[in-house]
Amino acid sequence: MTTAFSLEGISKRFGEVTALDNVSLSLVEGEVLGLIGQNGSGKSTIMKVMAGLHRPDSGLIKVGGRVVQLRSPLEAASAGIGMVHQEQSLITSLTVAENLFLDKPATSTRMGVYKWGDLRDRAKHQLDKVELDIDPFTPVSELSFGQRQMVELAKVLSLEELVQGHLVILFDEPTAVLNPPEIDALFSQIRRIKHRSSVVFVSHRMDEILTISDRVYVMSDGRNVATRDKANVNVDELYELMVGKQRVNRQDRKPREAHLGDQPALTLKNVTVPGEIEGISLTLAPGEILGLIGVQGSGAETILRTIFGMADEWTGNIEYFGKPLTIDSPAEAVHKGIGYLPAERKTEGMIRNTSVSENVAITYGWQHGRGGGMISRAKERGLIEGWVKKLAIKTPSISHRIDNLSGGNQQKVVLSKWLFGKTLKVLMLDHPTRGLDPGARSDLFAVIRELADQGLAILLVADTLDEVLNMADSIIVMKDGRVSARIEGVQAAPPSEEELVKAMV
Amino acid sequence: MTKDNILRFLRRNGALLVLLVILTAVSTAAPGILRWRAINGLLKDNAPMLVMIVGATLPILLGCLDLSIAAMASLAAVVAAMLAPTLGSFSAVVVVAGASVIGAVQGYLIGRLQVPSFVISLGALGIFKGVAMYLTGAAMVGIQPGIWVYDLLGGRVFGMSNSFVLVLIVAGLFAAMLKFTNLGRNIYAFGANEIAVYISGVRRDWVRSFAFAASAGCAALGGVMMISQTMFASATVAGSLLLPTLVGVIVGGTAISGGVGGVLSSLIGGLIAILIRVGVTISGLPPESQDVAFGITILIAVALTTDRAKIGLVK
Repeated sequence: MTTAFSLEGISKRFGEVTALDNVSLSLVEGEVLGLIGQNGSGKSTIMKVMAGLHRPDSGLIKVGGRVVQLRSPLEAASAGIGMVHQEQSLITSLTVAENLFLDKPATSTRMGVYKWGDLRDRAKHQLDKVELDIDPFTPVSELSFGQRQMVELAKVLSLEELVQGHLVILFDEPTAVLNPPEIDALFSQIRRIKHRSSVVFVSHRMDEILTISDRVYVMSDGRNVATRDKANVNVDELYELMVGKQRVNRQDRKPREAHLGDQPALTLKNVTVPGEIEGISLTLAPGEILGLIGVQGSGAETILRTIFGMADEWTGNIEYFGKPLTIDSPAEAVHKGIGYLPAERKTEGMIRNTSVSENVAITYGWQHGRGGGMISRAKERGLIEGWVKKLAIKTPSISHRIDNLSGGNQQKVVLSKWLFGKTLKVLMLDHPTRGLDPGARSDLFAVIRELADQGLAILLVADTLDEVLNMADSIIVMKDGRVSARIEGVQAAPPSEEELVKAMV
Repeated sequence: MTKDNILRFLRRNGALLVLLVILTAVSTAAPGILRWRAINGLLKDNAPMLVMIVGATLPILLGCLDLSIAAMASLAAVVAAMLAPTLGSFSAVVVVAGASVIGAVQGYLIGRLQVPSFVISLGALGIFKGVAMYLTGAAMVGIQPGIWVYDLLGGRVFGMSNSFVLVLIVAGLFAAMLKFTNLGRNIYAFGANEIAVYISGVRRDWVRSFAFAASAGCAALGGVMMISQTMFASATVAGSLLLPTLVGVIVGGTAISGGVGGVLSSLIGGLIAILIRVGVTISGLPPESQDVAFGITILIAVALTTDRAKIGLVK
């Protein structure tokens, strides 16, 4: 068995965050390596390093024993490395044939003009490889997601004719948008191409990893914590390894005592958003923190956005303090007393190029005004300064631009927008600690706990296991748009981290 | 002063500096321009454009663009002139109110149809122009003196053109609205980050409708001012005002990417546009060169003031 490809001691940092910490990986010819880990464990980064999309800060990349530099996807391609993208990279308005050769040297053209016959033959040849029986001149927009994934694979496999030697094919969560028969078809293709290529397969789903992989490679906190042959995989051990640093110290934890209101603030019955979530039911009481957790794309965010009136179409029932909730815009949700802190702070949360005070006052400033749509900046100022002090927001003054604050302080400013009014009853937090340093995280947690103690109903989509274990009164685990586990009484009797991970992947 | 500070100073006071430079240049070449009578005449002649500049500022503060203002001004002038014999002074009120409603619909359609504002307003431009042509049969429509509102706007009371006084009043009202009301706060925030403002619970459609209603209403007021001066209307009477109006707004410092600027700085921009026009005239260049000058000015001003980080790809 010869090593086709290897990474040796790769590290990669993004600003303050270490995405990859001294990671090594070797790939034997003809094997399928299954890569598994939680959100933020470094799976995507390592794939991007292999595909030439990220350059490592340190470490070596070897192809067939030779050290190479992968400065771009093109250089990776000429070294025989191709990536089947998670977010589909096809241009939907072009035909299959055009897409197949879009990133290749223009061989089917004469003076820049397509030789259509030649293009058709060559495209047909590539599609035959993945047993896809479609007209090469079909526009991609007319294909199903399964077929598109096959075209993506064919696009990568056409490297065969361009590169001598062994191929390395990277699959970044290819099954996320596929249905079971399509997944089976993909797996049989992966098994078929093993004769002349090595495969790295990333998935959130443990069962898929176990089905397709010859070896399993586990990542946690930017490190490779285990590599196991298929023959001696212990699934429980893998779950345990994936928890990583997100383990809660059971001795030091201070359980929160919740005082729940009698009438539920929010009741969801059978809420479905086509293609995203299915049959979601939950209840949330005033004073309760309900933690939602799941891997990326599990649908937890969609639940919040549906309640907030941002889903285009949904079915089911949502009750708000006993009355049916019918809203179709955030403005209505806010009017009824529901707030939402989006995960994308820079694009959806903060208003760039604007002062701290305007960011705080945008939603509820008018409630402190003179009436008739007139605002009172003087009155607002005192209140905003109060929140800045209370949340320990580090800013030279409230007229300072929000852009110049650190991430944690920006997030606190965006949060205070919801605390500024007098009418908020439900607060939904979507990954509130994403991108924050540990100090800012614990500050934010303290605030969220205090808000719940004051009777606010809080729906929290968490980034990590320790977040829900430390904060939530109940936990709902999401997987593929459905509820995969419900845990009540979390503070009194916390579940194990493994139990959560098992329900997630 | 660091580079950033210099840039910020120029962004804030650049328009005023440019105004002073051009004023110095023009008055050196033609000292007569500084006489009160000349100034008054210029302000009176250009009052329609100035009031349009005030209104056109609002969509641009949102990061939108209303291209239909000049066509709306012509249409409003035509309709007002046709209604004047029967409705008298009331015709002006009807026209401005009607234009505001049409503007509000335009603003609403942007969000409803998810079509960029420049396309919606370009369509509106064609419609307004066509309707004005149809109504007039490409002929001029005159009005008789003796109608109170047109006589008032055409005359002067405090030694100053009443039209220009009205421009100042309208600008003052909008400036106060922008500074002291929740709507004004929402307009600036909308221009800075529309998505965040939407998620903050602001009704985007209402904000956009208001801005386009203001823009169309001011354009109609401009049209009414025009007939009060010329005593006639035609389907193209305000047709040449689109470019100088946008020049005024943008040179004044309201960035086309939205979120920064204001109506008072637009007024300064408007004065610059007037002086550019005067400068071209006294330099002896043919009148057609005015549009060339405005074209060059708008290119420079947009290049200097646009926040490209916000737009992403420039298309």
